[in-house]
Amino acid sequence: MSFRVCSLQDLTPGEGLRIDSISPPIAVFMTEEGEVHALDDTCTHQDASLAAGWVEDCRVECPLHESTFSLRTGAVDQPPAKRGVRVHEVEVDGDDVLVELSQDAPNLPPGVTV
Amino acid sequence: MSPINPLNPGLPVDGHLLIVGSGLAGYHVARGARLNGHVGAITVLGDELHPAYDRPALSKAFLSGAAAFEHLVLDDPENPLDVTWAGGSAAVHLSSEPLGVETADGTFHGADSIVLATGAQACRLPISGQGTFVLRNVDDAIALRGRAVESQRVAIVGGGFLALEAAATCVERGAAEVTVAAGEHNPGAARLGAPVGEAVRALHERRDVAFTAPARAAEVNDVPGGQELVLADGQTVEADIVICAIGATPSTAWLRDGILSLDPVTGAILCDDTGFTGMPGIWAAGDCAQWASQASGLRPVGHWQEAVEQAGILAASLTGIPPAPFQEPYFWSEQYEVRIQGAGRIGLADEVRVVDGSIETNDLLVSYLREGAEVGILGFNRLREVKRWRKQRQVRTEPALVA
Repeated sequence: MSFRVCSLQDLTPGEGLRIDSISPPIAVFMTEEGEVHALDDTCTHQDASLAAGWVEDCRVECPLHESTFSLRTGAVDQPPAKRGVRVHEVEVDGDDVLVELSQDAPNLPPGVTV
Repeated sequence: MSPINPLNPGLPVDGHLLIVGSGLAGYHVARGARLNGHVGAITVLGDELHPAYDRPALSKAFLSGAAAFEHLVLDDPENPLDVTWAGGSAAVHLSSEPLGVETADGTFHGADSIVLATGAQACRLPISGQGTFVLRNVDDAIALRGRAVESQRVAIVGGGFLALEAAATCVERGAAEVTVAAGEHNPGAARLGAPVGEAVRALHERRDVAFTAPARAAEVNDVPGGQELVLADGQTVEADIVICAIGATPSTAWLRDGILSLDPVTGAILCDDTGFTGMPGIWAAGDCAQWASQASGLRPVGHWQEAVEQAGILAASLTGIPPAPFQEPYFWSEQYEVRIQGAGRIGLADEVRVVDGSIETNDLLVSYLREGAEVGILGFNRLREVKRWRKQRQVRTEPALVA
């Protein structure tokens, strides 16, 4: 079941928006090309908000270290993170950004619980 | 590709790479060599029995109990490096002819190239009580984690991030009193500027951490009912637990009077900016080494990021591919709910300017300038700004030109 998490106007190209009304929080990204993606917001290595990371080439780099996650698949490319993040299905309906949450178990870092 | 230095033949693609030290730098050299296509054997010698692990959490999530040892392990159990790990025996002798390292158990490990990545060991006060803890290895952290802190008096010697992280973790674990002998009035002020020192002190004082008047720590004595920290100006702090976090010294005692050039003061292995020691086939990276740009003060010493970057540059040089350029120096710390991140050439700054935020709201953003130009940045819970600053200054690798 999908639900509205924000409006397109809330998003800035090249940046992430943390949605912490959902647990665990998710991050909604708009690429420079205008694509919208939703991932789990918490880096799998350590508790850091990926929404504050650096978006480039359809990947987001964690704000603490150099692991980057694909906005399309959630897969991680290099240490220190070893596991990817979940991706959530996004639908844009007019101005509304709708998300259907993944049913997989989240890969949360040590010390972080839902 | 021909080697840059004629003394330095590089590593044959099927040669044996011997890495001495299984910390962050050693692990990343091994990983880098494999990524760069090295197919020969790689052996990593470690003096600890644990698999290669990451240290930052030792004073934070691991010490608090939030993270387990498995979370610190560097290698990915689902995709492990093709490397032979040989733990539990320290290196005792380095030889150039034949090239190799002898370990304490009497084994000689021959190699085509050797990378020294033995790291550093915690400094201790010359006179130190029985119960004084240090925080460098996982065994140190396990010992401290095993000590009940609740309702205890803790004294911490040192004013760097390791000391302050340990203070924060002890507060969170319910210590009755935490006193820090930071060696300066506001910890970090000398290195990071007055606003940062003030903010760090305020952050801890809000959690009732006490700071001694600035004076060097002299000794720790066992006294009835606990320990007594004595400072050079005569101040004393009584405590049940003393944690000494006054820096680290390169683990190079085994190389003294040997074939390599060591820094006469620190004992660090002197290298060029590819990690080459000048002795054919012998390289060094991480906290045991001092690369040329560190010796000249252009690069910091002892940062996690520095070890990772050096390992990458060394692995590239060793395997004959163009190394990635150095990036802006970077460090981070976590104390309570605050992430402190600093980037750039902070040591070169002649002016520190608060750009945004405040000490009270834990969101200070500080800019470092030299002759009016920004050379560094530091933020309290400013992850977005610090990341952006670093990425915008990232030195990208140029596509290799074919001659």
